[in-house]
Parts: sequence; C-alpha cells; structure tokens
Amino acid sequence: MSEITLSELEKQYGDTTAVEDVSVDIRDGELLCLLGPSGSGKSTTLRMIAGLEEPTSGEITINGEDVTDQSAYERNTSTVFQDWALFPHKSVLENVAFGLKMRDVPKEQRRERAEAMLERVQMGGYGDEDPTNLSGGQKQRVALARSLAVNPDVLLLDEPLSNLDKRLREDMQIELREIHEDVEETFVHVTHDQDEAFTLADRIGIMNEGELIQVGEPTEVYENPANRFIEGFLGDTNFVESEAVRVTDDAVHVETELGYELVLPSDGDPDVTEGAELTLSLRPEVLSIEQDAAADSMEGHEQPVLADGSTLNAVVGTVENVLYRGSTVRYSVSVNGTSMFAERTGANTDALTAGEEVRIEWEGDDVLAFRPDGSQVTL
Amino acid sequence: MSSTLHRETLETAAFRAGYLSLLAIMLLPLLVVVVTSFSGTGRLAFPPESFSIAWYGEFLDSVRWLDAFTNSIIVGVGTALLATVLGVTGAFGQELEDDDGLLGTLLAPLVLVPLLIPPVILGITLLMYFNEFGLRGSYASIVLAHTLWATPLVYFVMRSVFSRFDWQQLDAAQDLGAGPVQSFVHVVFPNVKHGIFVGGLLAFIISLQEFVMALFLSTPGTQTIPVIAWTEIRQALDPVVSVVSTILVVISVVAIVAAVIATNLEWLSRQLS
Repeated sequence: MSEITLSELEKQYGDTTAVEDVSVDIRDGELLCLLGPSGSGKSTTLRMIAGLEEPTSGEITINGEDVTDQSAYERNTSTVFQDWALFPHKSVLENVAFGLKMRDVPKEQRRERAEAMLERVQMGGYGDEDPTNLSGGQKQRVALARSLAVNPDVLLLDEPLSNLDKRLREDMQIELREIHEDVEETFVHVTHDQDEAFTLADRIGIMNEGELIQVGEPTEVYENPANRFIEGFLGDTNFVESEAVRVTDDAVHVETELGYELVLPSDGDPDVTEGAELTLSLRPEVLSIEQDAAADSMEGHEQPVLADGSTLNAVVGTVENVLYRGSTVRYSVSVNGTSMFAERTGANTDALTAGEEVRIEWEGDDVLAFRPDGSQVTL
Repeated sequence: MSSTLHRETLETAAFRAGYLSLLAIMLLPLLVVVVTSFSGTGRLAFPPESFSIAWYGEFLDSVRWLDAFTNSIIVGVGTALLATVLGVTGAFGQELEDDDGLLGTLLAPLVLVPLLIPPVILGITLLMYFNEFGLRGSYASIVLAHTLWATPLVYFVMRSVFSRFDWQQLDAAQDLGAGPVQSFVHVVFPNVKHGIFVGGLLAFIISLQEFVMALFLSTPGTQTIPVIAWTEIRQALDPVVSVVSTILVVISVVAIVAAVIATNLEWLSRQLS
C-alpha cells in the first residue's frame, strides 16, 4: 500500500521528448491505468517509476520518499513486462522465488511464499515446470505471481495482456481486477486498449505525445473529456465541423457542414462567441436512426424545441452502406453530402437498406463541442 | 522441368565436389603430419617405410618437450581466462550503454587493431616494452601478447551472443531487486555461458598455436610447443615434431568439437522450447 507522486517528470532521448511535464498523485491502493496510443510515453513513464529509465528532470516519490535517484533494484516496485521476461533457465518456482532470494529470504520461507503466490494465480502444481513450455496465459500468471511475491509498494503492469488473444485477455482483465481487490496494493497499468482501461481502472490517465492530458474516473473522462483527442480516442464518434451563428443565455445555435442548423442547449452563459468555429462530437450511442416517414417535415431545417425545454436535433440523409458487425449494425449515412454514421443493435430486425431515406435524432444535451485548439467548450 | 532439375542437381554436385576437394587439399598436410608421427624410422618422410609408436614414447621421455607442453598449457589457460574476462566485460559493457557513446563507437575498431599489426612487429615491440617492466621471458608477457590477439575474437563472439540475449530479463532481474553483480550471475551468465565457453576455447586454441610472438618473448624456461618445434626442425627433422603436431591438432579438434556441441546444445534447447 502506498502513494506515488510524479512531479514534472520529463524524459528526453537526444532531441526527442518521450515524456513531457507529467505530474500525478497516484492514490494508495488504486488501480490507475495509463492509456494512450503507442509512442505516447506511457511505457516510458512506467519504466521511470520502476527505475529502469532515468528521468531527464522531475521527481518521483513513493510514500513521501524521493526515489528519483534510486536504481531499479533499490526500489520496492515490481513490473509485469509485456513479454513477461520469465527467466528461461529457471523453473517456474525459481522464477517466482527470485525476488525473495535477492532479498535474502531463507530458502524454506521463499519456497512457501512462491507456492502460495502460484496458488493465488491458479498455477499451483506448476512449480517444477520449465517456463518456456507454458502457454501465453500461463506465462502471464507466473509473471504476475513473480512480481506480487516480493510484496511491492506498487505493481507496474506494462501492457502484459496485449500478447494474449481476445477471449483470454478479457478473462485475465477480470482476474486482474479481483487480484487487485484481494492484495490491496497500488497498481499502475499501461495499456493502449480503451476497453481494458475501462474494465480495470479506478482512474484512467490519458497520455498523448508525451503529455498526461487528463486523469479521472472512467465515467468522468468518457463523459467529460478534456479535449478532442480524448473524445476521439475513447470511442468512435462523428466529428462535425460547425460555426456558432447565434449565442443566447441558454443555447448556442450552430450552422453545420451537415447543412442543418443545430441547437446546443446551455446551462447558462455559454463560453462561446458568435462566429466561433466548433467541432461537435456525436457519439453513435446517442443517435437514433429511423426510416424517415415524413421527410418533408424537415423543410426549413428548423430544429424543434420540446415541451420540457430540451432540444431534439434531427437530420435527414440517405443510407450509403450497411456494415453488419455482429452485436451492432453500423449505417453510414450521407447528409447533404457529408458522411456520418449511426448504429443499431443487431437484434433490431427492422433493417435499413442502402439508398433508404433516414432520419437521425439526438438530444442536444448529448453533444460535446470543441474549440479549434482541441479544448472542450463549457456549454 | 526435369531437365532444369537435372541441371540443378548437377550444379550442386559439382559445387560439392569442388568444395570437398578444396577441403581435402587443405586437410591433407594434417594427414601427412599424423601419418609421419607413426613412422618406424628416424627420418621424417612420407609415406613412412614402417610404422611404430616409438616417437610417442620419445616425446613422453623428453623433458624439453614435456616442459614446453606444460608451458603451452599454462600460457593457453592464462590467455583463455584473461581474454574471456576482457572480451565478455567489453561486449557486455557496450550492450549496456544506452546510446552509442564515443567509447562504444571507438571500441569495436580499436579492439581489432592488434589483429591487423603483423605479429613480427608486435613481437619486437612487446619484447622492448616488457623489458622495461622486467617481464622478459615471463609467462605473463606471453599471456599478455596472446591476449591481444584472443580478446578481439572473444569480444566478437560475445557481441553476437549478447545480441541474441533477451535484455528484458536483465530489467526483470533488477526490477526484482538484483544488483548489478547478482543480476549478471543469476540471470545473464546462465543464458550466455555456452557462448563464454566457446569464446574461452577459441582464445585457448589461438594461444596454443601462436608462434611468432611466443618466439620473441619466451626464454628457454617458458618456450611453448610451437617455439620448440621450430628450433627442433632447424636442428634435425625427426618424427617427434610430427608427434607434437598431432597432439596439437587433436587438442584443437577436441576443443572445436566441444565448442560445437556447446553451441548446438544451446541452439537445441532453444529449438525445443
């Protein structure tokens, strides 16, 4: 159990900056996921916490103690590597007991502890095996047991599930979650997989181009992303370019590339000036798509305001193609020449076909807007 | 189709025949040496008029030859140990270096230099140099000279061995609390020990057969086998020289076979995993 603080952490390789000004307080006992595309600096950050990389500047503390200048072997952190890095010349049990051996734990005690850890990851009875003969999932479990055996201040996981197939990966995510709750230690998990981060994390830290852009609970980062990059990275969405044409106290009216004027309701005093360029994000899960029985009703492109004051936006378009994806069906729709997509569950048998006129609707509150610099607009 | 196939097999056969005859021509002198060592007469002639193992007895009775044999083993083992330590640590250090620094860039060509200097010149230079330190004629002087030659070979063998090593294992070891020495002993060494063994054997063979520098640097007390063989041949060609050569050839072949087995065992275990 321990808290880790990263302050203004920076790592440069020659002229390239791999990690830039990363500051975060990792809470005692939490599971923090560092999420980002490859090359975003998340693994480098993790390796700096482990002591395997030396930061160019900045400070790392564990439980208040400055460990920035300590080598990897002096820190009580342990890492589960992407390729697991099991020692091929040692048995499974010797692998798990290795860290204890380095800590001069007596032989009998470390054997007991190692066996208990193997038991914990459901690898009991595999102690005498050669690790090179194990399957990917089994290696993964042994690596986890090896890292947990030393009772680290923090367990660092460097994309350890990325080499497993989808089904096994999902099982391991749930198991990892259970182990985390069981051992009550601080975990920092690096991944490029959004689903994995959402499944595992207490909090998610999103990194891009070496910077830590936002740290928050999964719902927080998903529903209220700090910028356009996060909105795009966390899931599929339609980005629609627009311009604010009328700003009132409770709504922003925008003219969009879809050829429709849309209404974005505001909680009051929106932080937008007329003429500002805005990128709207319309996530497929907030869009409903129906056959357009009365295409004529959209004449004039006026958006209706509902009785309770909320706005319903709607656009009409033509289905361009239908992509069957198993649990969902994705429709690509051309709205006045601009493409956007909406989804239906696969169970919805009332299938739409290409060439059909459709109406896409959503509630104005479900739309996020971003400035040209990427930051989110408070509506 | 069949004619192309036919031509290909013919070409392969021709290539093999050429290759084998080349090998035979190169290996024939060895055969001559081995056969003449069993000569029944006192003349070094091929083919011998009769056969005996008398000259092996002669060799075993000769204090000079046996002393030279001991000297060669002492110098060979010394060279193997020193060159292995230098070559392994050099290659290891270079692998550890993050970005190719000045030392790293200079090391590889620098290490090669002794191989490019003619041994006569190296021998004379070292003789003068070691005289300054009072090392003339010592085992140490010959070991150091041979190490100059053997180290680059060990170094390049180890570079290739380390390039196949999974360096993440070193990270894992340090991450689990192993210091620099512990992680080398417990994790790096077990993975590269066959390579180190091969490098050491190579250094030993280099030392065993090196003649020119040993000629310059040795005194009667430290003469190695090639030096004695040279002086013997100049006095009288007798089959003991062939006996000694045969023993050297056998030692080298045994060492090479051991090296091949060691590398193949490693290769085999990798294949099986």
